[in-house]
Amino acid sequence: MFREEAGRLTASLVRLLGDFDLAEEMVADAVVEAMVRWPIHGMPDRPGAWLLTTARHKAIDRIRRESRYREKLTLIAALPESTTREPDDRLRLIFTCCHPALDPDAQVALTLRAVAGLTTAEIARAFLVPEATLAKRLTRAKQKIVAAGIPYRAPEPEERRERLDQVLRVIYLVFNEAYLTTSGDNASRWELAHDAGWLATLLIRWLPDEPEPLGLLALIRLHLARWPARVDDEGGLVLLKDQNRLAWDRGQIDDAVSLIARAAAMGRPGPYQVEAAMQAVHCEASTWEDTDWPQLLQLYSLLASMDRTPVVLLNRAVVVAEVEGPGAALEQVEVLARPLARYHLYHATRADLLRRLGRDVEACVADREALRLTTNPAERAVLLDRIGRGTRAAGRDDAG
Amino acid sequence: MKYMLLLTQGAWQENGTEAERTEIYQGIMEWFGRQWAEGTVVESNQLQPPATATTVVLDTGGSTLVDRPLLEAKEAIGGYAVIDVADLDAALAVARSFPMPDGKIEVRPVVER
Repeated sequence: MFREEAGRLTASLVRLLGDFDLAEEMVADAVVEAMVRWPIHGMPDRPGAWLLTTARHKAIDRIRRESRYREKLTLIAALPESTTREPDDRLRLIFTCCHPALDPDAQVALTLRAVAGLTTAEIARAFLVPEATLAKRLTRAKQKIVAAGIPYRAPEPEERRERLDQVLRVIYLVFNEAYLTTSGDNASRWELAHDAGWLATLLIRWLPDEPEPLGLLALIRLHLARWPARVDDEGGLVLLKDQNRLAWDRGQIDDAVSLIARAAAMGRPGPYQVEAAMQAVHCEASTWEDTDWPQLLQLYSLLASMDRTPVVLLNRAVVVAEVEGPGAALEQVEVLARPLARYHLYHATRADLLRRLGRDVEACVADREALRLTTNPAERAVLLDRIGRGTRAAGRDDAG
Repeated sequence: MKYMLLLTQGAWQENGTEAERTEIYQGIMEWFGRQWAEGTVVESNQLQPPATATTVVLDTGGSTLVDRPLLEAKEAIGGYAVIDVADLDAALAVARSFPMPDGKIEVRPVVER
């Protein structure tokens, strides 16, 4: 309860005060006071209103001590007591947290802190950075917002597309952090993944005419649907082709598919909608072999036309392997050698294709390169296993 | 709020033809003309080429002179403008509208006393 409330209060206060830093601090102080007073005096009838009033009074006291803000003080004192917390405030908050003038890391930290209400410690744990580092990151970002004059507002229509992309990217970054990392306990990964989903849901509520947030939520839901099958009993990663599809959450998949349809009806395709559609193709196949590869290839080509990055082209090549064979795919993959030299999945994909073409020795070399480039323990386990099997197979060939 | 726009030398100043460069300079002059007229720019100057710069290095012992600009060729400052706009978004919009084909512009708020 507190997390949501804190987020909403901060948003309302920022609007009143025009000072992000101050608003956050005052909300925190109000919450602390609540935790001390309420057990003694009992909970007020409207706790939200109590918190807002308390935070405002504290803010007024603080501002009184700073002469520069004398005129702002008159402004606040004159405003009527307000307990309506408009969704507009939250929208302004998330767009401000995700302002492109801030470092992407800072955008993520700020969004999780101010919008999702995670504590500094929780965020630090999720991203595997020391808490002090994260605290400094947050402070710098908040100071920059105030000092550089980053305005507290939602973007104008002409900036909407670019700014929305930024917010979607931040939310997806959070989701990926939860989904791909396997260190830390599973329960907090799950919570963080759901926080990302929740942020996407908020966006949909506030921007009902935008299709991409729907696409993003669908994408998140589809990944979450497969979560139970993704990790085996020992905590190892199970590749999509080997997953037990009966463990997938059909309900989430159906929900996601209707979100995709809702988005498609708006007639403005975008990368998140396409990625969601691709995952839906996988989720609707009863086995790896039954996957509608030609449709997937079409979707990848569509994605590549919107987002012509090497990683997209790499993933597209994986599908090409299923439609045109590993030889054609390998040709397309090797074109990406320079931009993706340091990307472990480039080498892992290449290794897989080489193995399918019977070039086991080269495959092993590529797998080792992939191993060198990733620190993710689950992925390393998969690669080590492949190298092990590959070595044994080569051994058999020599012997026979 | 006042912001300083620090305009760097662009690759365009080395490459291309004399005619192309002249055209760009013309566009920049017109841009400044408009910004001044609208009251966006409150101060601006083009600086002479980086080769004319001398850097003074101060230290507890005294000071030394270096026959070089602060920042090396590619990132050397070519000029500056102080603008007075509502917020950072407005400042960034002004910077992004600067009519040069390449180069960097630092946008930093001025301390106002």
